[in-house]
Amino acid sequence: MIELEGLTRKFGELIAVDNLTFAVGEGEVFGLLGPNGAGKTTTVRMLCCLIRPTSGKAFVGGFEVGKDSLKIREIVGLLPENPGLYDELSAYRNLDFFAKLYDVPEKKRKENIEYFLRMLDLWNRKDELVGTFSKGMKQKIAIARALVHEPKVLFLDEPTAGLDPEAAMVVREFILELKKERRTIFICTHNLDEAEKLCDRIAILNHRVVAMGSPAELERGLWEKTTVVHLRSVNENILKAIEGIEGVRKVEAIENKLLINVDEPEMRNPLIVRAIVNAGGEIEFVTELKRGLEEVYMRLIGGKNA
Amino acid sequence: MLRWRKTWEIAKKDMASIRRHRYVIYSLLAMPIIFAIVVPFTSIYPMLSVGEVPSTELPPFAPANVPAKQAMILSMVNMALLMFMFIPAAIPSTIATYTFVGEKVNKQLEPLLATPTTDSELLIGKSIGAFLPGIAATFASFIAFVCLVDALTFSTFNLLILPNPLSLVIIFIFSPLIGIMSVEWCVFVSSKVSDVRAAMQLGIVSIAPVLALYFLFLGGILTLSLPALAIFGAILILATIGLFFLSKATFERENILTKWK
Repeated sequence: MIELEGLTRKFGELIAVDNLTFAVGEGEVFGLLGPNGAGKTTTVRMLCCLIRPTSGKAFVGGFEVGKDSLKIREIVGLLPENPGLYDELSAYRNLDFFAKLYDVPEKKRKENIEYFLRMLDLWNRKDELVGTFSKGMKQKIAIARALVHEPKVLFLDEPTAGLDPEAAMVVREFILELKKERRTIFICTHNLDEAEKLCDRIAILNHRVVAMGSPAELERGLWEKTTVVHLRSVNENILKAIEGIEGVRKVEAIENKLLINVDEPEMRNPLIVRAIVNAGGEIEFVTELKRGLEEVYMRLIGGKNA
Repeated sequence: MLRWRKTWEIAKKDMASIRRHRYVIYSLLAMPIIFAIVVPFTSIYPMLSVGEVPSTELPPFAPANVPAKQAMILSMVNMALLMFMFIPAAIPSTIATYTFVGEKVNKQLEPLLATPTTDSELLIGKSIGAFLPGIAATFASFIAFVCLVDALTFSTFNLLILPNPLSLVIIFIFSPLIGIMSVEWCVFVSSKVSDVRAAMQLGIVSIAPVLALYFLFLGGILTLSLPALAIFGAILILATIGLFFLSKATFERENILTKWK
């Protein structure tokens, strides 16, 4: 649905987006993760045909960015970083105006506006001025605006930025609902938790793509698999027994916990468990060490060795 | 190819939006009321009750071949007519300031730019939204002015002195041109400032040609003859065309998002 081939954007000497090449499939929720000024918004603006690439190509829904701008804008919905609603118009009028610009037929327009406002629990307030709404409500209206013409691709730039936890949760749940509808969703965020919950795949961007994959793939690409064994107590015999197993690279004891770097854990974990039991260890439970996207991100972007 | 339906939607939305801005509404009401009602009562009505006017007291732009008192009244009417050009200069400029700079400051332009509309449709739609209320206010004010002046002066002249050719030229040729010019100027100003008040101050530059004509006429340097009006009209047309290209080059998606302050 979205293809980027060496997409680059410069502002004078500054390279805001450098040689991006990747594709996003239909129905996929794709996250672009990166610090402020990493080029996320610039990438979205290029894909929505708001600004032109300096070099490279991009296709959205089969249409080329820069050549088929109007057609691309017809099939995409954009939620910019700032909702940018018209405070002096009602919620309904805001949506109606944008639906008209997208050429949504009158009957469909009314149906869609009602559908999205009901879905976002704002139908009862449809005639109230948007200026009287809370930040969360405005964000919901802005999402409805991005969807009112039923776009094939939805671009969400920081969809929960500045929202309180409850409003952010409502927005995230709504995005998950959209995911069920198999819409292609492209999310820019620096909220790692959000990206992990919502996205099928993530690209970590710092002007160029630093890493890309599912959250699990990103983690696997950076660290060896680590098995965590919780014991009643740890002793030297247990450590020696584990170190003797082929494929075990490193064993570290932290209080009553063993962190074991091991090749092919699915095959070797049973051997490890047996060795511990044979050495007199009492196992409470065995898990895989999950580092999470935050550690991945900090390692790639933050320059810290997580 | 301009799609008028979309263009008109943008204009309608802007006109609906500005209804909520008190300052704009006050401008829309105050200026026409001043020019249509206050000016006739303060400058023309007092002339009706004076006796004879010595011809030596007539201003340099007073028409010849009519009695001095009537010449004085006609001079006042012509001066008032020239002032009508301030309405299309000031009101569209005020509205355009809100709909261009205001929307830029409130970050309302990006969602609009993301819609399948062309730059020209957006520019023309927003320009119409700023232009129409101003020109409507000018026409309404002019009609009220004509009625009031004719009612006040009929007993003196025994005929309806308005509308006269000058008034028709001012209202139907100069006023629309000045209105368009003032919007075009505001589009350019929008790209340079990020503050509504600063934009308003710069936008007021659009009344410069009106002021120039007014003072040239007042000082007797310019007469309201056909050639003089034709030259002024030609200058307005050239300025309107020049500003159109300037505003078109300014109001471009890429520029708005990357170069506008």
